Amino acid sequence: MKDERDRTILPEWLPPGAAIVAGLALISTSVLLAGAARAPSREKAMWTFARPHYLMYEPRVKEWNASGHTPFDLRLLSLPAMERRMMASFLGDVPCADVLEVERRGVSRTFGGPLESVGFVDLTDTLKKEGLLEEINAPSFSPWTTRGRVFGLPHDVHPVMLGYRADLVEAAGIDVSKIETWEDFARVMKPLMADKNGDGEPDRFLLNMWETNQDHLEVLLLQAGGGFFDEHERPILDNPVNVRVLATIATWLAGPARIAADAPNFTAAGNKLKADGYVVASFFPDWMGDIWKHEIPSLGGKMKLMPLPAWDKGGRRTSVWGGTMLGIPKTAVQKPGDFDKLWEFCKALYISDQFMRDLYREGGIVTPVKKYWSDPIFDEPNAYFSGQPAGRLYINQAPNVPMRNSSPYNTFAMYRVVDALVKLTEEARQAKRYDMATLEARARVFLKEAQAQVESAIQRNVFMDQAGGGS
Amino acid sequence: MSLRMTRVLAWIWTRGVLLLAAVLTLIPFAWLVASSFKSNEEFFRSTLLPVENRRIAWERLTTEPYARLFREMDFSRGLVNSLFLSSVTGIVATLCCAMGGYALAKYKFRGRGLCTALVLAAVLIPPPLIIAPTYQLLYRLDLLDSFAGLILPALAPAFGVFLFRQAIVSGVPNDLLEAARLDGAGEWRTFVMVVLPLVRPMIGTFLMVTFLGMWNNFIAPQVIIQDPARFPLSVAVAELRRGYYNDYGLQMAGTVVSIVPVMILFLVMQKDFVSGLTSGAVKA
Repeated sequence: MKDERDRTILPEWLPPGAAIVAGLALISTSVLLAGAARAPSREKAMWTFARPHYLMYEPRVKEWNASGHTPFDLRLLSLPAMERRMMASFLGDVPCADVLEVERRGVSRTFGGPLESVGFVDLTDTLKKEGLLEEINAPSFSPWTTRGRVFGLPHDVHPVMLGYRADLVEAAGIDVSKIETWEDFARVMKPLMADKNGDGEPDRFLLNMWETNQDHLEVLLLQAGGGFFDEHERPILDNPVNVRVLATIATWLAGPARIAADAPNFTAAGNKLKADGYVVASFFPDWMGDIWKHEIPSLGGKMKLMPLPAWDKGGRRTSVWGGTMLGIPKTAVQKPGDFDKLWEFCKALYISDQFMRDLYREGGIVTPVKKYWSDPIFDEPNAYFSGQPAGRLYINQAPNVPMRNSSPYNTFAMYRVVDALVKLTEEARQAKRYDMATLEARARVFLKEAQAQVESAIQRNVFMDQAGGGS
Repeated sequence: MSLRMTRVLAWIWTRGVLLLAAVLTLIPFAWLVASSFKSNEEFFRSTLLPVENRRIAWERLTTEPYARLFREMDFSRGLVNSLFLSSVTGIVATLCCAMGGYALAKYKFRGRGLCTALVLAAVLIPPPLIIAPTYQLLYRLDLLDSFAGLILPALAPAFGVFLFRQAIVSGVPNDLLEAARLDGAGEWRTFVMVVLPLVRPMIGTFLMVTFLGMWNNFIAPQVIIQDPARFPLSVAVAELRRGYYNDYGLQMAGTVVSIVPVMILFLVMQKDFVSGLTSGAVKA
C-alpha cells in the first residue's frame, strides 16, 4: 500500500501543518508589505495609560500641534505596558516617550535608587519659580515627591467620599446626617441588614470592603492618620493608629458586628452585587462616579455621596485613592531648550481652565489647581448622584486629603499590612474572639512582623540610606 | 452478571465519566462564546444564553461586539500581525534550531562541548530577567517598535536547539549520513533529504510550540512594539481590558477571535504534535 504522503506534492520532511504555517507566513507577509506605509511620527511623544484621558487629550494635542508648537504624538498604552517600557527605559538608560502620564504605583518604583538616578527630571525648582507649589493643592504633590524633591506635575486630588444607595437608605427612613463616625455609621445603618428572606444571613451588608482589598485598607489607614511610612520614608507599619484600624476592620468583617461584604470593583460579579443592593455603601474617590455611570448605569439616580464617617468625632471626613502625574524622562532632555518645550506642553495640558472643565465633565475628577475650585461647574447637579453637586462635595473635602508617601516600598508594605489583616480576621473567625482588646493585641503582633519584613527589605537596598529611608 | 453485561456497563461508565468531564471542560468555553454575543447590559442579566418565557431569547444576542472589534478596534490588523509573527518565527526558528541541533549532534568541532553547555545554561535563564537588557540591545540596534525586534531574539531558542540535538542524536544513525555522503550528497542535501525526514515529528511539534509561543507572547510585544498598528492579538486583546472601563462582550469577542485560528491549526497539526511529543517515549 502506498503511503498517503506519496500522493501529495509536499516534500517528505514537511508535515502538512507546517505547509499551512508556511502558507500563512507568505500571505501575512504580503498583506503587511501591501500596507507598509507608515504614518509619519511626530517630533515628540506622550504616553498615557487611561482611555478617558486619551480621549480628553486628543483634541487638545491636535490644537497644540496646529498652533505651531513642537508637534506631539499622543499614544495610549495599557498601564502594565507603560510601566514595563518605562522601567526598561530607565534601567537601560534608553529613550521612551518625551512626556509620560503615569499612575502613582508605577512612579514610586522609579524612586528605588539614588536621587540622581531617578529617571524623571526633578521639577522642584521650576515649580517653585513659577509659584505652582502654592497654586496646587499640597497633598497632590506627595506621591511624586521623594527625599524632598518633586518629580511630577499632579493631575488630580482624588478625595474619597462614601457613595451609598440612597433609594434603600431613604426607603428605610434613615437620616445620614446623623452619621459622624464609623461607629455611628454601623449603628444608624444597621436596620438595612435585616434578614427579610429568612435564610439566616443579612439580605445586604453596609460596606463594600474585604480584608484582601488593599485599596480600601489604605483609604482607611490614611484617613485615620496611619499609613506605612513617615515623612522621612521610614516604615511605621506597627504604629498605634494602624493597630486600631486593623482591629476595627476585623470586627466589620467577622463576628456578630460584621457590616462588610465583598463586591469587588471593576469586575462583572462585583457590579452585579452592587446593582442587586448586596452592599449599601462603597468608597468613592472622585473618579469612581464616572466608572459606575458606565458599568452600572442602572444605579443612576439611586446613589448619593456623603463624607466618609470619621474615626473620631471631629476627625477627618475624607481620604485619598489613586493619583496620576505628568513626568518628563531625563532621556527626553538631550539639548538646551528640550526641557522648556516639554514643560510648556505639560502646563498647557494640565494647568488651564479648559483642562479643569474637561477633567470634571468627562471624568468627574476635581482639579488640584486651587484657583479653579470656585468655578460654578462644580455646583452643577449630578444626575447619577440624585442631583447632588458632586464636584462641590469633593472640593469641600479636597484640602483635607491626607498626605501620602512615595516610597518604592509602598506597595510591598501595603501587602504586608494586608497580610496582617487577613491573618487577624481569619484568626478571629477561627477562635470566635471579636473583643477589641484581643484584636488589638493580635494586630500589634502581626503588624510588628510586617514591620520587620519591610525593614529587612529596605536594609537590603544600600541606596535608601541616602533617603534617610532605612530604619 | 454476564461478561457481556459487565462490558456494556463498563463502556457506559467510561463514556459517562468522559462525557461529564468534557461538558465540565467546555462550560467555560460555552460561556465565553455566549458572552461574546452580548451587550454589557445583557452580560449581567444572563449567565449563558438569555431565557424568556422558557425559550432562548435569541433577539437579545448581538453580533455588535464582533462588528466593533473589526470596525473600531482594527482587530484584523492585529490578526494579520499575529499570523505574520507566529508563522514566520515558527518556520525560521524551526529551521534554525534543526540546523543548530544537527551541528551539535553530528559535527565534531573544537568547543562543541562548550557550545552545548552554553545552550543548556541559556535554558536556565528566566525570560523576565532579560527584559531590560534586551530592550537596551534592541534600542542600540534600532529594532524597537519593529517586527524584527520580536522575531530575531526568538529565532534560535536554546530549548529548540537542544530539543533537535537530542532528537538527532537518538533518531539519525551516523551510518545513514555516511551512506548519503558516499552517494554524493552535499551537506545541505544530506540535512534536507536525510536528517529532516527522520526528525519530522519533532518539526511538527516544535513548529506548533513556537507558533503558539509567539501567538501567546504578551510581555515582549507589549514592551517592544509601541505603535498600536503593529500590536499582535495578544496585546490587542489585553488592550481591550482597560483599568477601569470594561466592555465585557467586546473582551469575550476579542478572546474568541484570538483563540479560533490556533484552535484550527492545532486540529490540523495534532497528529504531528502528539507523535513528536511521544517520540522516544518507547524504546524501539
